[in-house]
Amino acid sequence: MPGNPSGTLPPRTATRRAAGPAPGRRGASGSAPRRRGNGLFVLASLLPALVLFAVFMVVPTLNVFRMSFYTWSGFSPDMRFVGLDNFTALLDDAQFVRAFQNTVALLVVVTVVTMGTGLFLAAVMTRQRLRGRSLYRFVLYVPSVLSVVVIAAIFSAVFDQENGLINGTLQALSLDGLRQVWLGDQDLVLWSVAIAMVWQSLGYYMVLYMAGMASIPEDVYEASALDGASPVRQFFAITLPLIWQNLRTTLTFFVMSAVNLSFVLVRAMTGGGPDGSSEVLLSYMYKQAYTNSSYGYGMAIGVVIFAFSFLVSLLVSRATRREPLQF
Amino acid sequence: MRRSLVLASAAITALGLLTGCAAEGDGQDSGTTTLSVAALEGGYGRDMYTKVIQAYERAHPGVDVQLQISKSIEDEITPNMKAGRFPDVVVLGQGRKAALTETLIKDKALEDLTPVLQAKVPGEDKTVGDKLIEGIVGNLNTNPYGDGKTYTMPMYYAPTGLFYNKGLFDKKGWKVPATWDEMFELGEKAKKDDVALFTYPTAGYLDSYFFSLLADIGGEQFYTDVMTYKQGVWRTPQARQALDLTARLLKYAAPTTVGYANEQDFTKNQQSVLDNKALFMPNGTWIVGEMADAPRADGFAWGLTPLPAVTEGGKRYITTSVESVWVPAAAKNKDAARDFVAYLYSDEAAKIFAASDAIQPIEGVAGSLTEENAEFYKVYEDPSVAALVGGFASTAPVKGVDIKATLFDTANSVISGDKTLDQWQTALHEASEKLRQAGG
Repeated sequence: MPGNPSGTLPPRTATRRAAGPAPGRRGASGSAPRRRGNGLFVLASLLPALVLFAVFMVVPTLNVFRMSFYTWSGFSPDMRFVGLDNFTALLDDAQFVRAFQNTVALLVVVTVVTMGTGLFLAAVMTRQRLRGRSLYRFVLYVPSVLSVVVIAAIFSAVFDQENGLINGTLQALSLDGLRQVWLGDQDLVLWSVAIAMVWQSLGYYMVLYMAGMASIPEDVYEASALDGASPVRQFFAITLPLIWQNLRTTLTFFVMSAVNLSFVLVRAMTGGGPDGSSEVLLSYMYKQAYTNSSYGYGMAIGVVIFAFSFLVSLLVSRATRREPLQF
Repeated sequence: MRRSLVLASAAITALGLLTGCAAEGDGQDSGTTTLSVAALEGGYGRDMYTKVIQAYERAHPGVDVQLQISKSIEDEITPNMKAGRFPDVVVLGQGRKAALTETLIKDKALEDLTPVLQAKVPGEDKTVGDKLIEGIVGNLNTNPYGDGKTYTMPMYYAPTGLFYNKGLFDKKGWKVPATWDEMFELGEKAKKDDVALFTYPTAGYLDSYFFSLLADIGGEQFYTDVMTYKQGVWRTPQARQALDLTARLLKYAAPTTVGYANEQDFTKNQQSVLDNKALFMPNGTWIVGEMADAPRADGFAWGLTPLPAVTEGGKRYITTSVESVWVPAAAKNKDAARDFVAYLYSDEAAKIFAASDAIQPIEGVAGSLTEENAEFYKVYEDPSVAALVGGFASTAPVKGVDIKATLFDTANSVISGDKTLDQWQTALHEASEKLRQAGG
């Protein structure tokens, strides 16, 4: 694994790396009290962050793992150790399996669509000098600063089965046969949520990719153009390899944030309905842990989510590993 | 010198960040009792609570009542409760999404309030039990373990049933159906006028519908059997009849029902009644306030009817929603809490509550109602109609089993044809058996 996670600016990183050890070496040759003073100071500066990290991240996470072996309603002092019971029960829980399937489907579809479209739009906006591109960029970026409640309200208006944006447009175009009950049809509701997820995150990732692409020197493109490379060829031979590290990082981020985003959107838009058909792992965990008073069972679902996200991130990271290219 | 200054300030910053977590004062040594009361801010508003508390504090100078009130009170008090700091009195009913009351009942974490029933109302001669209307305590709602002990006190009660537009019935010359046969006849008639017979805001609103229907079909004993998960109860012909009737009714559901049956859009289903697109929906008296600003058809007037009778002249039950007040077993000031709860049933407090349309189950209070509300409470006057209180009995939590979701949410799938009646019945049977084994 190369030491440079972003990969977009190798030359500068290389300088930093070379310069890095210098102060340390100077410190080593300096007087002993001075070094200890530095160490203390560094420790004191790090301490608040470390304490906060431990209190708010490490301890709760460990607690999730511990609680998943217990039966507990959430309030009583009455906790019972049940070993792996919670996990074996998960296998027989049809609703859990359905939530898992929904989560995987959302993760795959939304990731592919968002990443693909984000890359495409970023390439078009950086390479083709579109007129009004800052307006497009602004418009596409706006959804990522909206709160989920607002997004849910917007999509409630978009998906409204009677006079919503989609069905209304279809009606105006005399395509009445294509009108759908977007949030009421059990086969469609998950894809309606997926549309909202893509809409929400597209702009953010597009801007990230645009930043990566902007740092690619123009002369590389000029040279390839002289050699007769088409824009499509340029994209696959130059742009994509040079922002590859960037892409990997965002992919891992996205996989993790999509798990969370699916939860908040499902909670706000459908509540998991109709009849559990749009339930995702986190929303089901919430229902079990809080509404159904099976806190330990909910935490077992939490452990599954943790392991799942971890595994997916690892796989994505492994599958996309390439030798970083430099320009 | 400068370094030590830097170090000191770093340390202070670190400590400062930590004090945020540690700060927690307990000002208990001033001689007065601090009683913490948490209440759900429901449709009745929050003013009535501040007024009642002022009145209580006037009569009890040694008590300082701290009120915490919110529309999502569960979210605000549960973090503290998990840390062991419980409020002394909580006004919160069952059937909320967060199910806090249910969770504490399952946990046996409520204080026995039977003594309050025998206690005299502060400043009056009668006991609390004497003042309450008959049949309001002693059911599964107030005595969740069926052992004769009261753990939640009934606070406000309201009828729930089928709400409809009286104006439309007058205009069309239709009669509110008294039997299910008449109901389905009306469904056919209304269909010709492009009006659907039935809709529901979300499937969860079917609770009052199902409770009444089960009692209508099999009587109170059968209803209790279902609520306490009696063995094989969902395999009985009565249960089948209830599901059959429901499936038939759902065939008449407004086409938009399922698509709007979510948290975001449920008011659109309610709107369809206001717009004369659907005739009946199960709901509660809060609907009047909830839809007060919504546009409506000309001549619209809210009406409330119990479910039609299964056989002509048969007894009909009206599910009555009862908000509760309870004291957590882990509360610090239990004596003061019990006294405060008893005070909530005083004439003084009842008057303040009734002014906000919050009707307590105290004899004679329903007389002081506003006109629209009095109309709703009239359903109790029909001799063939009886009040039905309660809900599913509490059990130890069972992983992955939520019988309410199985009973109500499946309606969405029955309308869309994703599940059959047999699947519904089987799922209910399995859920009921699992809950019974967990100890009903």
